[in-house]
Amino acid sequence: MNNSASIVHRALRREREKFLPGTIVSFTTLSHPPARFGPMPRTIGMILLENRRRVLGTLLIEKPFIEQSVRPRMRLSHVTEEGIRVYEVAYEASKNVAVAPQKFPGYIIALSGPSGVGKSTISKMLTKACSDYTANVPILTTRDPKSGDDGEYIYTTEKKFESMKRAGSIITSTQIPSSNENRQYGYRATDIEAIWNKGKMPIVVTEIHLLEGLAHHYGRSSVLSFGLLPPGRTKRARLSQLLHRLRARGRESEEHIRDRLKNAEHDLALFRERKDLFDHIVVNEDLTVMIASMKKKVPALSGA
Amino acid sequence: MQQDIFLVGSGLTRFGEWWDKGLRDLMDEAIDAALRSSGLNVLDIDLVIVANMLAEVTNDQADLGALASSLMPHHPAALRVEAACGSGSVALHTACAFLESGRAKTVLVIGVEKMTDASTDAVSEALMGAADSELDAPPGLTFLGIFGLIAKRYMHEFGLTREQLSIVSAVHHRNATENPFAQFQQELSPEAVSESPLISDPLRLFDCSPISDGAAACILSTKHRAPMRIRASQVTSDTLSITERQTIVSFPATREAMRRALLEAEIERKDIQAIETHDCFSIAAVINMEDLGFAREGEGIRLYEDLYAGRPSLFVNMGGGLKACGHPVGATGIKQLIDVGKQLKRASTQYGLAHNFGGACASCGIHILENLAV
Repeated sequence: MNNSASIVHRALRREREKFLPGTIVSFTTLSHPPARFGPMPRTIGMILLENRRRVLGTLLIEKPFIEQSVRPRMRLSHVTEEGIRVYEVAYEASKNVAVAPQKFPGYIIALSGPSGVGKSTISKMLTKACSDYTANVPILTTRDPKSGDDGEYIYTTEKKFESMKRAGSIITSTQIPSSNENRQYGYRATDIEAIWNKGKMPIVVTEIHLLEGLAHHYGRSSVLSFGLLPPGRTKRARLSQLLHRLRARGRESEEHIRDRLKNAEHDLALFRERKDLFDHIVVNEDLTVMIASMKKKVPALSGA
Repeated sequence: MQQDIFLVGSGLTRFGEWWDKGLRDLMDEAIDAALRSSGLNVLDIDLVIVANMLAEVTNDQADLGALASSLMPHHPAALRVEAACGSGSVALHTACAFLESGRAKTVLVIGVEKMTDASTDAVSEALMGAADSELDAPPGLTFLGIFGLIAKRYMHEFGLTREQLSIVSAVHHRNATENPFAQFQQELSPEAVSESPLISDPLRLFDCSPISDGAAACILSTKHRAPMRIRASQVTSDTLSITERQTIVSFPATREAMRRALLEAEIERKDIQAIETHDCFSIAAVINMEDLGFAREGEGIRLYEDLYAGRPSLFVNMGGGLKACGHPVGATGIKQLIDVGKQLKRASTQYGLAHNFGGACASCGIHILENLAV
């Protein structure tokens, strides 16, 4: 029954959402697990993931304990009678010590969405409209300056970027390979913390890997995460809206735009697949309406 | 309650492993006993409600309403209700709704489960249907495992020890020695529980209710009067998956059902002298005492320690509970109401309560019974 191919398929889709570190809430060892898992005892834990969701998963730890930190590992669980290989997210010990609950350093507003949806514009308008409360976080990048750049980047070399990453001063980074170069992007802790020290809220324009890294570093509850959607009811309408905007920007070649559009399709799908990383999904149709509605969703800005 | 609903008759089969009896035989036996105890004619039954969870999987049988109806000469209208191990109380609740609305005047509610037709593995897997098939089952969890997780966490939070937990099953077994319908009529020492094989750490074999066959029937009526009256019938729900809850050491559905039941019965908790609670695993009984409000958080075991020491503050699972009396899942909720009635009569007390749930308390039903003869 539980081996039915379609149930396995749906369960696998959920497995991917479990791929996050967390701590053990409880665990048990089943002396006789269901037959399909073989005759060996099986230890199963309830894990509180860092995004505050609770999940159940196999523990690959000989002597687990409650509050222990664990990290996910994808592995083959079993093969069904029909020959379907079923994978699962299991958890292994990340450190053999109980950790204190993560401190809450402050809020970060994160804006993500496909190219052309208006992330930078919104971030600029927000910081302009609420300059006493918010500030943009610069992105550290190894790519060369371009004519359309507007002060949002700090440029550095590949070598320096790598050494900063090793030293831990870059808290999250991502590599975006393009046809002619291998570009890295990341955020520095010092930039974000400097904004907090001024009593302001940092705004980051980001993408899924950087967002994940931020949530991991500062705790998911520190990130107030907005996913921006282009207007339109269907995927095609949304993508054609993006195409218009990218062309109107006039910054890139047609080939580049096509590349970005391909990525955009993936980005849109992520809003659903990684819904744990987003607090609000908002549609950017009219900028002023958008800013007003976002201000309402950020408690500290509702009066600004 | 919008109408006075009386428990006019009840009947049970002995719970156990009945190789020679099928669903039909078990139901027939319980219906017969219920009719005899009520003194009614079979033609007085307007409606039959069957509580059952697993018949399709364990007995290749669906449409149990028609099967039950076919056991009566006038084939009354019939339906089946399923809420996992909480099917019995949800069936009683459904019967109350029919009676209160006036759609029926006399309803036969029968719970039946025939579990020993299938292998232990198959039954265990089928029972896992009471949890979330996409959120809970994939890592290989069984219901034993779910309550193993609950027990481990409870011990961590409240410092309950293995020795203390073993008292629960010992109390239930002692209560069952005088119950002719119980699957196990022998005593069990706490030491024997602690030494039984480990099944789902920290739970051991004798922490778990058994796999059983059995049926329980009762006749509820607004037309025919009897000394037992239903004062409250409440059903509540929670998330199916334990992963979607804030805590696993308490069951909010029980708390809410209890609050509503007391309100409906217009009585206070201290008025209740007898309870039957859902001890599918020993740890559940401990948690239930707290959620029902008979013990403070983390202190449910104290009530059992008092019972074991012979200092009862209230009658708990006097028929042996699910552990010793047996747990044919669909029949349990109805058997509990019958046992509460017997206890009220025996002790000449006024109010008693049956607390039944499905899954890890994803569906919960509470019924309060009043003994009008006191």
